[in-house]
Amino acid sequence: MNLQIVMEYTPEILAGVVVTMKLVVVTMVLGLLLAVPLALCRNAKSKWLSIPAYAYIYFFRGTPLLVQLFIIYYGFSQFESIRQSFLWTFLSESYWCSILAFTLNTAAYTAEILRGAIKSVPQGQIEAALSVGMSPIKLYTRIISPQAALIALPGYCNESVLMMKGTSLASTVALLEITGITRNLIAETFMPLELFFLAGVIYMIISTIMIGGFKLLEASLSRFRVEI
Amino acid sequence: MNSESHALTIDNLHKSFGDLEVLNGTCMCADKGDVISILGSSGSGKSTLLRCINLLEIPQQGDVYINDELIKMKGEGSKRKAADQRQVERIRSRLSMVFQSFNLWTHMTVLENIMEGPVQVLNVQKDDAKERAMAYLEKVGLADKYACYPSQLSGGQMQRVAIARALAMEPDILLFDEPTSALDPELVNEVLQVIELLAAEGRTMLIVTHEMEFARQVSSEIIFLNEGVIEISGSPEEVFNNKSSEKFSNFFAQGRTTQ
Repeated sequence: MNLQIVMEYTPEILAGVVVTMKLVVVTMVLGLLLAVPLALCRNAKSKWLSIPAYAYIYFFRGTPLLVQLFIIYYGFSQFESIRQSFLWTFLSESYWCSILAFTLNTAAYTAEILRGAIKSVPQGQIEAALSVGMSPIKLYTRIISPQAALIALPGYCNESVLMMKGTSLASTVALLEITGITRNLIAETFMPLELFFLAGVIYMIISTIMIGGFKLLEASLSRFRVEI
Repeated sequence: MNSESHALTIDNLHKSFGDLEVLNGTCMCADKGDVISILGSSGSGKSTLLRCINLLEIPQQGDVYINDELIKMKGEGSKRKAADQRQVERIRSRLSMVFQSFNLWTHMTVLENIMEGPVQVLNVQKDDAKERAMAYLEKVGLADKYACYPSQLSGGQMQRVAIARALAMEPDILLFDEPTSALDPELVNEVLQVIELLAAEGRTMLIVTHEMEFARQVSSEIIFLNEGVIEISGSPEEVFNNKSSEKFSNFFAQGRTTQ
């Protein structure tokens, strides 16, 4: 293994880190925003809300992320109406196609994590809130959300790390993030071992930072879990 | 029902879970200042009766009036529900419930637990709510625990905080659902003493309990429920000296031996 090559190409791959991080942050924010209403619909008593939410989750969990990305990137461009519409400004770019695919995918998984967390808030906590006359909105914002967030956190951390690694699929639609840049460099240098190894280490560092961040968040949210 | 004014009127309440009929046409009234203990063996419908009053359970039939205001319902049988969510929230804020398992909100400190209802539901100013919360904490003897989280308290302390939380709503009626059943024996007394204090203050209370001696001492009226109907009711003397009900005599005798 030629470590000099590794050192030499590190700055170039680091440029891809910025793209990967952008994908991760935007996807996490949008995915969470989409997951909350999905989880609420999934838990709703009304079939008109719960069945569509379940169908959505069923589809995105049941099909590979790569297939979803290809449907969006290659599939949508076949429709004349899409190419004519304002959507094309976004859907013609691999960056936005990737964001869309990753967001829709992670939202499905996150919604399931949130749904389970909401369900596992003890009934007594909810009854205590109802018994003082809290409205459903107050019940959700004051009692259920803070407790469910903490329950959801480990699963959500897991999903976020999986999603971060999943962004490497964006290289298949010609986006130059970590994996994309690495592949280009390999095509120039024919040094797959060194360069893929370097890419792997960078992914590992990012996931370590993410896991550490979630640990800190969990610690600060669970101040109340103190024992005498 | 008669036209007199009551703090609470329950008229012909029916509640079943599946095939199991728990309440079977229960009727009762409570006046301001009454302390009514509800006794009965497990499964006799005591807790269900209490939970129907603040609609944590929806009775399939029958009416509940709080201060002579009917809680409006719509629909039939298992589809029955409250007709006016706003009314239910308003009425619930006038009734405070103390639960068997305390149900303190685990993510809030003692002080936050007590301030939550007044601030979020009654729109009391935070400073006023804090003052009020500290006064009630003082009353239950836990003022020094205001910054603790529930996980740092003993069962008896948690239940006393739960009582302070109920009082902070300054309710018209306090509902106690087996407040000492989940406590270790040595912690029961501290909670009973607080409830006794409240009874002496003339607060209107309904208490579901297994503590017979306590019920006899604090109650103005005792109700003995059996299979969802009120088998006997009356003053503690009347009920405890009543030998006509075999069920109650058995229940009473059993209570004696287990204590």
